[in-house]
Amino acid sequence: MNLLKTVLHQKHCDLGAKMAAFAGYDMPIQYTSVKDESIAVRNGCGMFDVSHMGEFLVEGPEAHKFVDFIVTNDFLNAGDNKAVYSPLCRENGTVIDDLIAYKLGAEKVLICVNAANIKKDWDWISSKTEGFDITLEDQSDDTSLIAVQGPGSEEALKKIGLLSSGDFPYYSVSPDNFDGTEVLLARTGYTGEDGFEVFCPNDKILNLWEKLIEVNVTPCGLASRDVLRLEVCYPLYGHELNDDLTPLDANLKWTVKLDKPSFLGKDSLENIKPTYRLAKLSLEKGIPREGYSVLNNEGSKIGHITSGTHSVSLGKGICLALVKRSEWPENKNFSIEIRNKVFPATYHTKPFVTGGHK
Amino acid sequence: MSHNVPENLKYTKEHEWTLIEGDVATIGITDFAQSALGDIVFVELPEVGGNMEIETAFGVVESIKSVSDLYAPLTGEVLEANAELEGAPELLNTDPYKNWIVKIKVTNTAELEQLMTPSAYLEHCNSIE
Repeated sequence: MNLLKTVLHQKHCDLGAKMAAFAGYDMPIQYTSVKDESIAVRNGCGMFDVSHMGEFLVEGPEAHKFVDFIVTNDFLNAGDNKAVYSPLCRENGTVIDDLIAYKLGAEKVLICVNAANIKKDWDWISSKTEGFDITLEDQSDDTSLIAVQGPGSEEALKKIGLLSSGDFPYYSVSPDNFDGTEVLLARTGYTGEDGFEVFCPNDKILNLWEKLIEVNVTPCGLASRDVLRLEVCYPLYGHELNDDLTPLDANLKWTVKLDKPSFLGKDSLENIKPTYRLAKLSLEKGIPREGYSVLNNEGSKIGHITSGTHSVSLGKGICLALVKRSEWPENKNFSIEIRNKVFPATYHTKPFVTGGHK
Repeated sequence: MSHNVPENLKYTKEHEWTLIEGDVATIGITDFAQSALGDIVFVELPEVGGNMEIETAFGVVESIKSVSDLYAPLTGEVLEANAELEGAPELLNTDPYKNWIVKIKVTNTAELEQLMTPSAYLEHCNSIE
């Protein structure tokens, strides 16, 4: 298979990054060490090339109304310049993708979607536009994206001349100017830390990356991004979410606003009984991995791990697991089977790590 | 890329090193292996007194991203396992040649001939990069 490349591909190779296939792209997995890169984001500032992600622009008098109709979360009542995280569901309630929609103006919305789902999302969204006074444009190939993440992000962006008109709240957006070109700053990310995602035209992205290197922002690969998002329990499409699950299976009830008058999937999500519930589990010994079985205290399989890793912040194994609601152990007694051995797990009610975002 | 391949050791294609002293073989993973794995965060050691068989899995090393079996370079009985690695698996990154994994009593000396010389191993590393 021919892998796609982001504009920064050569730069990653020059920096000695370990590259691997991700969502059809040849992406940097790590530069020096997953551990060091994770720590850089938790304690300082790191950056990720996430240009592989997709961007759709919705414009027109009914742009807000349309986006509100296709997503399950409340987009219509979000304030100006706000960002809204939401699943994108079919009529039967299953999840096509999860996305962030940015309210850029009265008639303008940017939707950022997962790289692996760009075509599926585009086909779906563009098939639902009838009756709405909007235009839809796929800007994925023209837009590059760097996520600058960590408590030092604001300072780093200021050092390279961004944020000169002041900062703005978490989960909102602001246009800015970099090197004579308009860019979009979104105070969002996938690490749980304060940070910004900079949407930038392809021809300026290398300059932006190099300027951020000059102010000592640590280049980070997707492996550390996965550790960071799992520590704060953010779902990843293809793992905690997929074509067969509804948001209710993945503890995303908070993103399904059944009091909205209408949206795609509403009827099903009102009536459906979810099959699964997501459990947050950690191990004192051993590392839980995707696909491993979750057992109750009688040794029966009650679920499976959807994402698992070694938490750099906690120094132990952590995971998310889909557990059948019908078999949910009220005593919270979970175990994980690793290579035919059973390890008792600790059940967590809160994310493993509390990110520092404001 | 250059690899640290000490001259006094023998190697396997699976990136283990062995130090032969009499009928005792000390076994670990190579610098190439630790570098390819990245941050090592878990090591599963075999039981002392158990037997291991050449080219079969005797333990596991896990980095943040991956799970890899350790393959026995030789057949033998496990004399010692380096328990220090259970609490500090990152020692395999720090110094993979000082921080051995197991010591075994070699039971089939004919197998020693199958081990790779440092130069053959170095060539093997260069061929897979």
